[in-house]
Amino acid sequence: MLGWLTVPAPWYIIGPLMGLVVAGMYAVANKHLGVSGSYVQFVDRARNRSIEPWRLWFLGGLMIGAAVVAVLGESPQFGLGYGRLGEVLPLGALVGVLFLGGVLVGYGARWMGACTSGHGLSGCSTRSSGSFVATITFFATAVGVTLLLHAATGGAL
Amino acid sequence: MSRLNGASLLFGAAFGFLFAAAGFNQYDVVHATLLLEYLDPFFVMGSSVVTSMLILWLLQRRGWTTPLGGALTLRRWPVERKHVYGGMVFGTGWAIVGACPGTVSTMLAAGSLLGVVPLVGMLVGILLRDTVAERRRPVESEPVRSPARTANTMPPA
Repeated sequence: MLGWLTVPAPWYIIGPLMGLVVAGMYAVANKHLGVSGSYVQFVDRARNRSIEPWRLWFLGGLMIGAAVVAVLGESPQFGLGYGRLGEVLPLGALVGVLFLGGVLVGYGARWMGACTSGHGLSGCSTRSSGSFVATITFFATAVGVTLLLHAATGGAL
Repeated sequence: MSRLNGASLLFGAAFGFLFAAAGFNQYDVVHATLLLEYLDPFFVMGSSVVTSMLILWLLQRRGWTTPLGGALTLRRWPVERKHVYGGMVFGTGWAIVGACPGTVSTMLAAGSLLGVVPLVGMLVGILLRDTVAERRRPVESEPVRSPARTANTMPPA
């Protein structure tokens, strides 16, 4: 909103600071940082399973931090925008595609036990071999499917 | 608020700030990355992992005791098929929606309302995966987390 912060900020500032956060979570609380684990809490709560409250506090913080960036910097997707995908698809189709794609993301994250943060950032940091394999697999697949989508839509996406 | 929850809130806020400052809560940024047109996010993740890996390795070597969680224990997972299968499903969904779990809640926090659609999809996907997994292994369908369950299944990250 205010435009005080240029987004994306330089990678050589963001990356090492992000590494400090991942390491800090371990160094202070002995916890493995990951976002999908927070979502699992909602599913567990709905099924009367025991939950890990700290993961919900983490999620709350995550959203506060992102909101601060939106205020200090910019929020190009504000409202019903969804970037290029929102320009290519009409709203009804967009909602359907986003829902089904989201189901795949959730299913896959739960299957492999973590997501881009839990495996890609934290798991690789702990030198977890399963996390290395998961990270290589999901990156390779995502790049491959994105290139396919690009070709299939004649470069529209 | 326990100290663990407070720390989680703070680390979450820092992570969410950096995440959004990197533009990871925007479809166009994620899509351009997976299209290999914009490579900075790879450098963000790479430098983040190098930083935290180094710090965690040093702390582990010194037998670090964390202030809030006892002796530092780095979570590591051996390679399993689920890391490949789950990674492929995850990567496909990630390419379609241009959003991983961290993206959708930080989209919402930045006023990007459509983020709620893939977020709901992810919750459904997690529930679906849990249902499938428990049908195959009925032993694990106890309502309360038992010691055996925590030992076999690492907490989601």
